[in-house]
Amino acid sequence: MFLLPKGNPLYENVAAAKVKLPEILDKLKNGGFTGYLNFLFPSANVTLFFEGGKLISTMCEQGSKNTSGFEALTELCSQIVAGDGSLSVYRLSRDLVMGLHALLHGEVLYKAQELKLINVKGLLEKMKARKLNGCLRIYTEDRSALIFYKEGSPLGFFHDGASEIETSATESQKIAGLPGAKVDILSTKSADELMHMDLLEMVNIDKIWETTRARHEAQVQQQYKEAQERDKRHQDAKLLELEDDLKEVAAAYLGKMGRALIEKELADCGGRIALLDHDRITKFLAGVERSSKLLTSISKLKEMTELLQKEIGRLSM
Amino acid sequence: MEFLSEVSTVALIQTIFWFLAGIISFYFSIGNARIWTSISLGFFLIFISQAYLLAPWSDYPRLAAIHYIIGTISIMVMTHGFQEYYVFSRTLEVGGSKWLVYLACLVVILLSTLFVFINPEPTYNVLRNIRMIENANWVFLSLINIDMIRKIYMQVRDSVIANGFIAFGIVFVCIFLWKGSELYLQVFCWDNDWSLFMQSIGAYHNIDYPGRVNFSLLVNQVAGLLSGLSVGGTFIYLFRLLR
Repeated sequence: MFLLPKGNPLYENVAAAKVKLPEILDKLKNGGFTGYLNFLFPSANVTLFFEGGKLISTMCEQGSKNTSGFEALTELCSQIVAGDGSLSVYRLSRDLVMGLHALLHGEVLYKAQELKLINVKGLLEKMKARKLNGCLRIYTEDRSALIFYKEGSPLGFFHDGASEIETSATESQKIAGLPGAKVDILSTKSADELMHMDLLEMVNIDKIWETTRARHEAQVQQQYKEAQERDKRHQDAKLLELEDDLKEVAAAYLGKMGRALIEKELADCGGRIALLDHDRITKFLAGVERSSKLLTSISKLKEMTELLQKEIGRLSM
Repeated sequence: MEFLSEVSTVALIQTIFWFLAGIISFYFSIGNARIWTSISLGFFLIFISQAYLLAPWSDYPRLAAIHYIIGTISIMVMTHGFQEYYVFSRTLEVGGSKWLVYLACLVVILLSTLFVFINPEPTYNVLRNIRMIENANWVFLSLINIDMIRKIYMQVRDSVIANGFIAFGIVFVCIFLWKGSELYLQVFCWDNDWSLFMQSIGAYHNIDYPGRVNFSLLVNQVAGLLSGLSVGGTFIYLFRLLR
């Protein structure tokens, strides 16, 4: 996951599930927002870059898989409706957004060049001469620093562990001095050129959002239905087991007629599902008691009723 | 004849036994399930049907007729009770109320009494006819009840109550012999009432088969006593069993 400078935080750690993406994007568009939105989900991290209210780029990181554009927006919608994420919104300068855009989507001019093998001074002069817009990434295996450039001049420095852009190059120089330090150079279009791009104009976010929500709702419904069916099967199995237990108790006190009696009284109360309803349990036990009076003694009947009640009580535990 | 004087003594003892059996069965009917009400009330009514012998106006023909009719009602109520028990043992359905049973019996007895009073006073011959009808009912319904009790027993044989039905079976065998022997004597005009009737009209009446008559009377007396005893015993047994 890329660590990005936080700039001016507008919102931090807002529950993503509460976000209605089309509405918030519309608001940012109308407000001419410049900065980025960072959605953090358990299995994905989505960043949307805005410049002057235009959505200039998107990036979705899911494990080792990175997607952008339409795919990233679709994934973002799916993750939001699934819940369990958070949103942070940071306002940045246009130039810095341009630098970050370079970092994520820029053209790679140099890749993994060992710093000790190149002429850094010459490289910086070359960048200045070419009026390069972009980002220079210096890194070792466990540390990294970013230097953002506008028209060949450094805009600021950013490194791991920092939350803000710094004006001092000290940390970047330290990393550059480490053994095995490498450099990437990424360039992008100027901020003005980037303004010509607007994903919101290219993609019907409302439709993506509604489709995703509808699909998610259908999935939730399906899962709910499956869960209900599973619960029902589980409950049926438990009730069947309970009915067998009740029959065994009745058979012990009333003989084979006991089994038939339990079956008949349960049927009269609407089936074994009645064993989940207090009123129907009372009716069922009263029915069993009324008929049992013709088959056994009062004392045994009392004993049997207590046992039946105990068996039924176990179900609610 | 010599045996006639003995009959009244035995009948008195029988009535006392039926009285005890009646008290026990009536008490049993109060605190038990509805179906037992019909059965035990039927047995209680046997006592009422026998009690006319103790009544000071037992010679009053209308009262005797009412007692015989109550005897018929008692076996019908009992049979109805066993029928209901059999239905219960097959379907496990229990319906109705105790008070309805008591009330229905009372209404039938009152209507029967009304029937006796709106008709001419019964002669000895009419009384004998009523008694024959009573005995015929007892004999055939006892057989039906024995079969029904057998069927009930098959259904409930592994429950606590099963032995109670064996006892009821014994009761109805005794009753069958008791009432059957009397019916036998009546059918062949060897009974006491017929002798009285013949005497009253001054006719000659000779019994050609004294051996059969004496044996039938013996069976009648012994089975009558055993019936009363077995009913009392059965209800005491049931009472203890269902406590």
